[in-house]
Amino acid sequence: MGIVIEKRLTPSISWQVASILLALLASFIISALLLKSAGADLGKAGAALWDGAFGGWRATWKTLVKATPLMLTGVAAAVAFRARIWNIGAEGQLYAGAIFAYWVSLMVGSLPALFLVPLLFAAGAVGGSLYGGLAGYLRARFEVSEVLSTVMLNYIVLYFLSFMLTNPWRDPSSFFQQSPKVVDNSLLPNLMPGTKLHMGFLVALAVVVIVHLVMTRSSLGYEIRAVGLNEKAARFKGIDVKWVTMVVMLISGGIAGIAGVTEVFGVQGRLNPGISVGFGFIGIIIAVLALLNPVAIVFVAILIGGSINGGIKLQVATGVPSTLIDAIQAIILLFYLAAAVLARYKFRIVSNG
Amino acid sequence: MRPVLSVHEVTKKFHQVVANDRVSFDVMPGEIHCLLGENGAGKSTIAECIYGFHRPDGGTISVRSKELDLRSPSDAIRSGIGMVHQHFVLVPSMTVLENIVIGTEVATAILDMREAAERIAEICRRYNVEMDLNSRVSALTVGQQQWVEIVKALFLGAEILIMDEPTAVLTPQESRRLFAIFREMCESGMSIILISHKLDEVMQSDRVTVLRKGKKVGTVETRASSKSELTNMMVGREIDLGAPRPRGVIGSPMIELHGLCAQGDLGTPALNGMTLTVHRGEIVGIAGVAGNGQKELFETLTGVRKATDGRVVFDGKEVTNHSPRDIQKAGMGHIPDDRFSEGLVPDFDIQSNLILGAQREPAFSKMGFLRFDAIRQFARDSIEAFAIKAPSAQTACRTLSGGNAQKVIVAREFAQSTKAILANQPSRGLDIGVIEYMHGRLTDKRDENFAILIASEELDELRSLADRIVVIFKGQIVGEFRHDAVDLERIGLLMAGHTGEAAAKTSVGEA
Ligand SMILES: Nc1ncnc2c1ncn2[C@@H]1O[C@H](COP(=O)(O)OP(=O)(O)OP(=O)(O)O)[C@@H](O)[C@H]1O
Ligand SMILES: [Mg+2]
Repeated sequence: MGIVIEKRLTPSISWQVASILLALLASFIISALLLKSAGADLGKAGAALWDGAFGGWRATWKTLVKATPLMLTGVAAAVAFRARIWNIGAEGQLYAGAIFAYWVSLMVGSLPALFLVPLLFAAGAVGGSLYGGLAGYLRARFEVSEVLSTVMLNYIVLYFLSFMLTNPWRDPSSFFQQSPKVVDNSLLPNLMPGTKLHMGFLVALAVVVIVHLVMTRSSLGYEIRAVGLNEKAARFKGIDVKWVTMVVMLISGGIAGIAGVTEVFGVQGRLNPGISVGFGFIGIIIAVLALLNPVAIVFVAILIGGSINGGIKLQVATGVPSTLIDAIQAIILLFYLAAAVLARYKFRIVSNG
Repeated sequence: MRPVLSVHEVTKKFHQVVANDRVSFDVMPGEIHCLLGENGAGKSTIAECIYGFHRPDGGTISVRSKELDLRSPSDAIRSGIGMVHQHFVLVPSMTVLENIVIGTEVATAILDMREAAERIAEICRRYNVEMDLNSRVSALTVGQQQWVEIVKALFLGAEILIMDEPTAVLTPQESRRLFAIFREMCESGMSIILISHKLDEVMQSDRVTVLRKGKKVGTVETRASSKSELTNMMVGREIDLGAPRPRGVIGSPMIELHGLCAQGDLGTPALNGMTLTVHRGEIVGIAGVAGNGQKELFETLTGVRKATDGRVVFDGKEVTNHSPRDIQKAGMGHIPDDRFSEGLVPDFDIQSNLILGAQREPAFSKMGFLRFDAIRQFARDSIEAFAIKAPSAQTACRTLSGGNAQKVIVAREFAQSTKAILANQPSRGLDIGVIEYMHGRLTDKRDENFAILIASEELDELRSLADRIVVIFKGQIVGEFRHDAVDLERIGLLMAGHTGEAAAKTSVGEA
């Protein structure tokens, strides 16, 4: 007896769904064992998890707020991955967008909200775009692997932010490394009174729709997909691969930069090193899980946003250490990723003889 | 004698496409059994069913009267069936030895590489194949990779060897050697199933089974048959590719190369000062063994490869080292020899591949967005005009048979070019009907005053098609013949590099 693993030529939707459910189940079991070992009450833990994620309207709105930057970073990663450009730098581009938009808000903060808010989104996109474009330029001009450059740029922007918050932009009245509150007219308008749901959510949805249309219906999207699927044939047919690389990194970085704006002006109300809790990296996982499909990214981002919020609630309710919650979240993501791979293979049991 | 392999009523469907419809044939021990048929007739599919790669929807496959339940290639290997695919599946970064033993029982048990190497060396000695087991596959020529695939099948204990178009990538000398070795294998009791479009090769087999549109037409003894009978069975009519064609009027120069030099992928010189002119309304054929600079010549002309020296003039304008896009816009079409990696995006559907390179032309795009109605209409027209066999314009090119994939490229390049067409080995792997059709289209283009440059290893093809034949050897033109002064024997000598003795005679041919 043995097990034969083969790559599927055509993906099967039912098997894809089944493997995701399998991943959910497996991650639940492992998480339950972990929680049990920490002495938590499983029933209470499960209820808290659900409560924090989708239990009631309030929790659901909060989940959507959390999903907003994830949708953006997910789409940012997906655009790049479609062209087989491995942009691992959405995290850094998010910060670059946040920093640039914050700087703009300092310069022209007196503008009325009607002009200021769109300007801030544009500034975030430009900041992220330039930062992503830098990696794109290094790859197009000097053939520097974008995996290396984007990862390193992630660090550089964080240290730059830390420098800015140590002196020039620091809120003198605060003990923490953070800027003062941003001006009121720069805050993103609230969508629903009594909740934290802000305009960034709608902007993220619009970005998803635009990206989807551009990727599937425009000449540029066609070129991006052609380069990703067969760079050589694309080059032979006159598509300028370097130009596409540049454009893709500008777009991808720009989208990630917008996520910086939603966090600074929609959630935190100030600039600090904690505006992202790894949104840029979780976005990569979301893009892969959603098979790079922008519409699927919305749903996966909401699911993952919910599990982040549920984890916070769970910690409060059961008092298990927060590192355990981090571990559980990592486990869930790992199993999801395994499911995404699993869905592409088939397994059979054979008898030798 | 009992057959070693029996295929009985095998049916294989891909969604609505019936690739094999109740196909039956037997293979005898020691026999070379040919599968012949048009592009898309289902030859590769039936072969892959026998190799356990596809699971038939009906029918049985038996080896020595024992019915097999093939669920994967490893089941087929255990039953003594080996296969060399139309597209190779070696790992380029690994050595020859590693490639031969990976995925085998030897690899899963404790790896005894030394013993494996000895057994492989033994196989090579037996069939007189020279092979350095420790060199990397990426450093081998396609021909050498073919030998690796064959030795791998023998190493796995194949008694029935399936070869899917093995000589499509081989030089004429290499394929002669291959056939000599096939004979030796058969004498030692092996059987070979051979898929080929080259009738000269088919005639060397023992029996031929002809397929048409997924169904079997019949099995004949090769000795009792003829090329024309086989062609008739295959496409339903007689075709003579060698028939002379009407010649056109040759005009002024369109493509001019002056001392062109370029490097190959490994940085070694591939073009060494090539000078050549192609005129309007002229078809120039480049005769030569593949790998003598044809590929680099076409790539340099189309701007994909940098010229290190020399000049290219296209329609009176200097285009040396211009971008591929500019050269295409100037009206040059290019049919590369490696269809699936250079000519197509295999995961795109037919309609998307048909507009590759024209995705920003006003015909197909408006304000940056694709005009899908126009694209679909263009695809429908092309599919009809070129008789591309596919369920719809939304079929992924990956699933097309080699011949139909080629038609997609030809249709696209014909539509996009306005002045010249370059084609490298355009008929490789195509069935005789498609070749005839393509030749007709190329002649039409010539009559529209296009300049056409074709590289081919098939001298018969060049002789019937070209107005002038030049011979390429090691990146240089070593001989030139007008169509009414072609001497095949001399061309053969020049192709093989016998410049000295042939050159003296060539001057007679030049007029
Ligand atoms: N994986 C697949 N999915 C869908 N259709 C397929 C697939 N593989 C083959 N086909 C279809 O089955 C038919 C037979 O294809 P096959 O590759 O067997 O032809 P062939 O005789 O080998 O042709 P060629 O001489 O061009 O290689 C074709 O119409 C092809 O489009
Ligand atoms: Mg085939």
